[in-house]
Amino acid sequence: MEQIDCDNKTTREINTALRALISQGETEICVRNPRARHNLAVGLIQPAHIVFEGSVGYYCGGMGDGPTIEVHGSAGWGLAEGIMSGTIVVEKNAGNGAAAAIRGGTVIVRGDVSARAGISMKGGTIIVGGSVGYATGFMMQKGTLIILGNAGMALGDSLYEGHIFLGGQVEELGNDAVVAETDSQDAVFLTQTLAAFGYDAARYDFRKIVAGRKLWNFDKKDFESWRVAL
Amino acid sequence: MSDLPRQSQVWNDSTIDDIQAKAELGRYRIRGFSQLRERPIPSFDDLTFLPCTLTRIPLEGYREKCNTQTVLGARFASQPIVNDIPVMITGMSFGALSYNAKVALARGARAAGTSSTTGDGGMLRAERENAKTLIYEVLPSRYGFDVHDLLAADAIELTIGQGAKPGTGGLLLGSKVSDEIAARRDLPAGVDQRSPARHPDWLGPDDMILKIEELREATSGRLPIFVKMGATRVFDDVRLAWKAGADVVVIDGMEGGTGASPDLLLEHTGIPTLAAVCEARAALEDVGGYGQMQMIIAGGIRSGVDAAKAIALGADAVYIGTAALIALNCNRPLYLDDYRALGTAPHHCHHCHTDRCPVGITTQDPDLMQRLPIDEAAERVTNFLHAMTLEIQMLARACAKADVHDLEPEDMRALTLESSMITGLPLVGTRRVFGGGPGWKRSTQD
Repeated sequence: MEQIDCDNKTTREINTALRALISQGETEICVRNPRARHNLAVGLIQPAHIVFEGSVGYYCGGMGDGPTIEVHGSAGWGLAEGIMSGTIVVEKNAGNGAAAAIRGGTVIVRGDVSARAGISMKGGTIIVGGSVGYATGFMMQKGTLIILGNAGMALGDSLYEGHIFLGGQVEELGNDAVVAETDSQDAVFLTQTLAAFGYDAARYDFRKIVAGRKLWNFDKKDFESWRVAL
Repeated sequence: MSDLPRQSQVWNDSTIDDIQAKAELGRYRIRGFSQLRERPIPSFDDLTFLPCTLTRIPLEGYREKCNTQTVLGARFASQPIVNDIPVMITGMSFGALSYNAKVALARGARAAGTSSTTGDGGMLRAERENAKTLIYEVLPSRYGFDVHDLLAADAIELTIGQGAKPGTGGLLLGSKVSDEIAARRDLPAGVDQRSPARHPDWLGPDDMILKIEELREATSGRLPIFVKMGATRVFDDVRLAWKAGADVVVIDGMEGGTGASPDLLLEHTGIPTLAAVCEARAALEDVGGYGQMQMIIAGGIRSGVDAAKAIALGADAVYIGTAALIALNCNRPLYLDDYRALGTAPHHCHHCHTDRCPVGITTQDPDLMQRLPIDEAAERVTNFLHAMTLEIQMLARACAKADVHDLEPEDMRALTLESSMITGLPLVGTRRVFGGGPGWKRSTQD
């Protein structure tokens, strides 16, 4: 495994070194001493397995298409934002806007996540091992968000489509977020998806949250919904 | 007392229409286009140029060169963009506009040696193929965001908001969210799409520093990064954009157009483009960034005259949007029955939100779109950009400038008291500035 030591390097030098190694065909790269630096491994569009030995700052792995990234620590805001594909695993916690607007790929945070995880997500899968803050899944469009712990206020507020599976308790569902029946396909999906990352779906009594679709098109007869939304 | 009909100034035709329309709709009114205000706002028409006489020697209009090349993004980017002219096509989405319109704008801009810009919903492949220089918008919605498109762009525009509706997100009514548009934006077809007002992964100006760094890291520092905002608290916003490390700041005045917006935002939010450019320049001078961070001004730019005045006040370039659509054919007297069916007429149409654009520009209807042949439309855009360029050059030469960017405030005077106060230019017939102006150094005062 190739190694990059972040100490005494600028962010540009770290990212340039990552790109250089990947373009040389290296597929296993260990990044030491990240020390919560921002904007590491952003915009990578080739497959590679990158391990950060420590915590990372804002936007780690953002706008990527292909790499597998492990963070042996916590992550700041905007973890994996906008990724198209690939897998990003954070061993501890993540800040606001984790996996914001992702279009594909899988993002796993084994600890807790702050507010607005999965905001505007357009595809892909997010798994949170712990609990999530307010407005998780806000304006979610597609994809799947699995929360094994509890959720704060406004869960799934104004979501268009996509599914949220909640293993714990919710403080309050968001505007137009409704609980739907789970079916056998959901059970199979949860079992397989969670097992791939070492979780046992059978330990949780999942609730499925989807869009009530009242906000898809304006209806003047449903003023109460729109008074909140507009 | 006469029996002639009298009308209240308060409860006039438009007020009565407005109330009764809302009494049917149960919401605010939504429409496209630009301002339809009855009361005029301060504009570039309130200024006049002072060409050379005995105190200045003009350039020979048909002999001596007048440079129009415009470089944007040299503050930090290793590959700043270089346009042949200081007029650029602003961001307008595929969704708000038809495929034919988007491609025609890119092709028309290319032929004129300038840039076009993507929009909400991402980049069309044909847009990339037809554009010489293509600016990629990164918007709060992130609809259609694709890192490969980002890497294929020539500049990045981090959009905070737009002049037509600052402080809110985009709007695309369900009638225009066709299957194709829905797929590109990852939305259900037919949904009324209200884009987020905030970016999903950052909130304030300190976060924006990191967001800009992310974009810069993802592109290895190659691409200029623009920050675009609707014109509200321009003086402070421009200073924050400077602090955040933008290469270029784009200010979009309240005359800016849109494919769909609540009517009240179009009419009652933001500040005029004339005032915006003055505040932006004052801010750049305040932080010592004038000439380092370029400024693009947008919002109701109609002609080379408007552009020249904006440049003289401190802009490096202008964006055109609505004017480019009008060059394409917007509001042209064709297909009159279709205008009538919309309840409007050529030169009065603002029905971009309906998907029934009679001339095929703001529609996703395949039949209507065919009314806009790409090659012919692109040629009209090119011709209009050429005309604007010649207008700017004519004024610059008359003011003894061998480079259009050398136009300066001293080349103009204010025609009204309020424009003198806004711009800091002396009022015609006096040598005085009636008010503080935005605060820049005025060599002509007193």
